[in-house]
Amino acid sequence: MSQFLQATVYGLLQGGLFALIAVGFSLVWGVMNVINLAHGSFVLVGAYLAFELNRRIGLDPFAAMVPVAAALFAAGYLVQRGLINLVVKAPIFITLLLTFGLNLLLVNGLILIYSGDYRSVTTGYAADGFALMSGVRVPVGRLLAAVVALLLTLALVAVMRRTRTGLAILATGMDRGAARLMGIRARHVYALTFGLAAAMAGAAGAAVSAVGTFNPADAGRFTLFSFVAAVLGGLGNMYGALIGGMVLGLVEAWGGQLLPGTLVNAVAFAVLVAVLAVRPEGIAGRAFYSSRVEV
Amino acid sequence: MMLEIDRLTAGYGRVRVLHEVSLSVDEGEIVALVGPNGAGKSTLLRAVTAMIPDRSGSVRVAGRELIGVAVEDVAAAGVAHVPEGRRLFPGLTVRDNLRLGGWVPRNADLGPVLEIFPRLADRLNQVAGSMSGGEQQMCAIARALMGRPRLLLIDELSLGLAPLVVDEILARLGGIAESGTGVLLVEQDAGAALEVADRGYVLELGRIGLSGTAAELAADPRMRSAYLGGDPPQAPVS
Repeated sequence: MSQFLQATVYGLLQGGLFALIAVGFSLVWGVMNVINLAHGSFVLVGAYLAFELNRRIGLDPFAAMVPVAAALFAAGYLVQRGLINLVVKAPIFITLLLTFGLNLLLVNGLILIYSGDYRSVTTGYAADGFALMSGVRVPVGRLLAAVVALLLTLALVAVMRRTRTGLAILATGMDRGAARLMGIRARHVYALTFGLAAAMAGAAGAAVSAVGTFNPADAGRFTLFSFVAAVLGGLGNMYGALIGGMVLGLVEAWGGQLLPGTLVNAVAFAVLVAVLAVRPEGIAGRAFYSSRVEV
Repeated sequence: MMLEIDRLTAGYGRVRVLHEVSLSVDEGEIVALVGPNGAGKSTLLRAVTAMIPDRSGSVRVAGRELIGVAVEDVAAAGVAHVPEGRRLFPGLTVRDNLRLGGWVPRNADLGPVLEIFPRLADRLNQVAGSMSGGEQQMCAIARALMGRPRLLLIDELSLGLAPLVVDEILARLGGIAESGTGVLLVEQDAGAALEVADRGYVLELGRIGLSGTAAELAADPRMRSAYLGGDPPQAPVS
């Protein structure tokens, strides 16, 4: 029983991180109809940036979230503005191909610089923990990562719902042509959206670096989990990505208890298929960006 | 002149829809653009606001040339376009739709447009896509007015709406024009449009056929037979 509870706690904490990663992926998909296959590699770039900042100036990985997110926002903005905007209205196959190539570039770049070895950032406190009840231990680093991830996810939702920029992003996602008629610069809005998603991924990467080991090949796993979490929750619905991330974290943790490691991904997809069979609109239901119009 | 279109040619790729069309709308004037389906009425509005890129000729709004200006800069030039099918942001509330209309002048003052369309005041927190067609059309026009336009383009106002609702909305256009805004109204329902318009143009196969004051057009026998559902002109009896 305590083993199950321990897995549940671990799954929820891990789920918070998945949510932070998935919410940006879901945003880009919902607003631009771009499935960003390089999303996972942004997480890795964030992790290695945090690793570098820690190695060179001894910056704490959670403090590193701020500069890492800023750097990835800028990079994401430029990638969208200079590259993806060129094909954003093309069929989805083209953007898949482009982001797949971008992913290869980033992952192999990281391998070139850092090799495929597993890295991690060690802090004095991340491995500390406290007992929740008999036999259930909560590691401080993971707790901190999950809390920050949840706060960032909720902050993104607030930005989308409450600010002028967020409103412009939602509107452009719903009807790009009408938004442009209002004077909204769609290309700039798309670049902001992509930058925000990259920043969230980068921040998640910094957290990932503090709570476990990582290597460049993890990029694919993070993209895969983003995809599953986004679809599981309901496409384009940011609360959906949050719920999807949590469900995925739990499934992974529980599955890890019962099955050999490599089967965990299969379980994640089995859950996805099961949920979609019952509720094709995802757990959270109606997407934010229903009835898209392309012009 | 608020809007001066001079020999505007426009189309989609190789297909030309408009052939050297010239028309004008004065300050505070309501001009109806009528004609049969497929004549190019919507294309003309889309050419004015750069929603179609293939266009040549001249489109001047308050003296400023709009050919070569991108869609997102048209609002800043003082043009608001209520597109065919209304194109509200369906998942956002009425309030957010209106706020987006005021994007360029950063206008968040809903008072004046709610005065024109009081029905929207009760619907501010409702999701725009869940309203009736008439309310959506009011919301679309109100959204356009939030940009404080000098020229208001309305495409197929009556599309899919009950005649009573159409009359109710058309009756508001006079008040909008009174404040100095020029209104170009594209309508299939020529009779309804000419009732509120000062002047009108008839577009046929991408060319201006007839033009004149609304009263002249409404009385024109060619007009009556083709668009107003009147009796065909009688041969004079001597």
